[in-house]
Amino acid sequence: MAEVFCGVAASPGYALGPAFHYVPYEPSVSPSIIENRQSQENIGYYSAAREAAREELETLRRRVDKSDPERGKILAAHQSILMDAVLDEEIRDRVLSDLWGADWAIWESYGAYIRRMEGASDPLLRERAADLRDVRDRLLRCLEGQPSKELSLMDTPVVLVTRDLRPSDAAVLDRQKVLAIITETGGATCHSAILARCSGIPAVLGVENALALLPAGEEVLVDGTEGRVVLQPDESQREEFRRSQRLFASRVQENARFLAFPAITADGERVKIHLNLGTGQLKPPEVNHVDGAGLLRTEFLYLEREDLPSEEEQLSAYRQVLEAFGGKEVTVRTLDIGGDKQLPYLELPREENPFLGSRALRLCFDHPDLLKTQLRACLRAGVYGSLRLMFPMVSGVDDLRRAKRMLTQCRLELEREGIACAEDFPVGIMVEIPSAAIMADLIAEEADFASIGTNDLTQYVLAADRMNPAVRQYYRPFHPAVLRLIAQVSRSFGKKGKPVCVCGEMAGDPLGAAVLVGLDIRQLSMNSASVAPVKRALSLLDTRDAREAAQAVCSMATGEEAELYLRKRFAYLL
Amino acid sequence: MYSRKTTIRNKTGLHARPASDFIGCASKFKSKIVIKKLSDEEEANAKSIVMLLALGLGEGEEIEIYAKGEDEVEAVDTLIDLVDSKFGEDK
Repeated sequence: MAEVFCGVAASPGYALGPAFHYVPYEPSVSPSIIENRQSQENIGYYSAAREAAREELETLRRRVDKSDPERGKILAAHQSILMDAVLDEEIRDRVLSDLWGADWAIWESYGAYIRRMEGASDPLLRERAADLRDVRDRLLRCLEGQPSKELSLMDTPVVLVTRDLRPSDAAVLDRQKVLAIITETGGATCHSAILARCSGIPAVLGVENALALLPAGEEVLVDGTEGRVVLQPDESQREEFRRSQRLFASRVQENARFLAFPAITADGERVKIHLNLGTGQLKPPEVNHVDGAGLLRTEFLYLEREDLPSEEEQLSAYRQVLEAFGGKEVTVRTLDIGGDKQLPYLELPREENPFLGSRALRLCFDHPDLLKTQLRACLRAGVYGSLRLMFPMVSGVDDLRRAKRMLTQCRLELEREGIACAEDFPVGIMVEIPSAAIMADLIAEEADFASIGTNDLTQYVLAADRMNPAVRQYYRPFHPAVLRLIAQVSRSFGKKGKPVCVCGEMAGDPLGAAVLVGLDIRQLSMNSASVAPVKRALSLLDTRDAREAAQAVCSMATGEEAELYLRKRFAYLL
Repeated sequence: MYSRKTTIRNKTGLHARPASDFIGCASKFKSKIVIKKLSDEEEANAKSIVMLLALGLGEGEEIEIYAKGEDEVEAVDTLIDLVDSKFGEDK
């Protein structure tokens, strides 16, 4: 008997396949001392685990050697770490002489080297710490006798069912193996959703108790376009699924034809398409399909490490992106961290209300050296391309002035030191705090541009946490209150002849793009996966029609009404 | 015992693939081989990938390799040549 579950449609597309419970192994080890007579036994456990881990790695490596030689090399390196004679001796010695339990001996022996490598200043060496951690966890899992959850060991592709996806899980999202993703937590704008969309894998998120409801191995149908999951679908549902899938596949093909062309509306208006970048890494053709990078999130430079990135390190990262874009505009956003996003080496205080606390620019003001290093790196990097600098979480003119003063100070310092820096470049703000949107007319006098972060703006305007499923019906990006504020920002900056970009999820959604064009926004920044569908949608859109629709929704009473209206009116864009 | 000195000239230093190549090569010899980082006198067993990684040998680092055993001369000469070949980088 088929059962239907609903969730958030987070990444479009259709898939049918067996459910696979993805529960990443997390070691939990505590200090243990064993009896003398148990030491040989523990050595036995350790040897068996090491052999099991070696066999796993060998099997994995043989599988990927041809298809993915890079991964093959990493696995070979893992094998040599596992078989390392010195490490092996240390572990045995801790069990036999110090009488530590095998798990504790493994944990500590690897741990000493992991800590040492993590503390290194060389980023290449810090990456090796992750390899050691991988091998250690594999060994500990084998010691517990738990089976491998490695996706690449699966013979057939699966529907991934998991509690939540973490940034580090991106590696498991192999399109060949993962047909679709279902998570228990998260909404359309959370990290898992962005990951799924970037890899083009259909996803339904926020399906409560998905792990309990969808037994491993059972056939599951996933509709990432509508946000539905069907367990053990019947014949008519399968038939419908096949139809939708065919339609979707032809749509994807059709979209791809628009990729290489500039975005032009049906009535000939040019809309600039920019990319949101989360790391310095780019796939080469992507740059040719867009007009620039509308949002370079710089957090990637600060995460998963033990200390702050130096000015030189940042300079080289920004320079790389600027040069890759060869003169096209790159908008660098200064560090947006704090609140829920922590940096272990900063030791930020825990806050009752992190989203309303000291995050992003506010945090940088509290740690001026942090911001100054970044500003200096930006000033220097500006020499290598067309850089725009953007401050996040600006609440008003005072924040902007203070940030600009620091920028001037950094420029003077660099000049005094005789270090080359860029001529004046545009300095703008993220509009995500409602006060900044409301005061846009006065901010527009002092900012060179604005970029609207619709995810945070929506969450602040409607007082609805986008990660909390309990208030999902309150989080509505198309709410007239949100759209009115966007209109106000667009108007205020437009009057001064200053550009406004939108870099939230709304910009990458064909429906959202249509409304934004209707609000006279002519620059949209999005993930690479959204570029083709948005370009296609814009080619069908008449700006006069878009303006009329935008005006209509701005005077509607509720978010639900606005959303239904847009879905109907712009159905032909989807 | 036999020993020689050199400087690491390849960009990625002795981590990742070059490190694997290095221990792969060292393990072929019977002698006991030690690699020493001259800037802080730290030493590591040249046949242990983990010890070698932990030394953190980046580009520009001066090292000494010494070996003791029946094939000590050949071992040190081969490993020095390998380091000086930049592991096939920057060709």
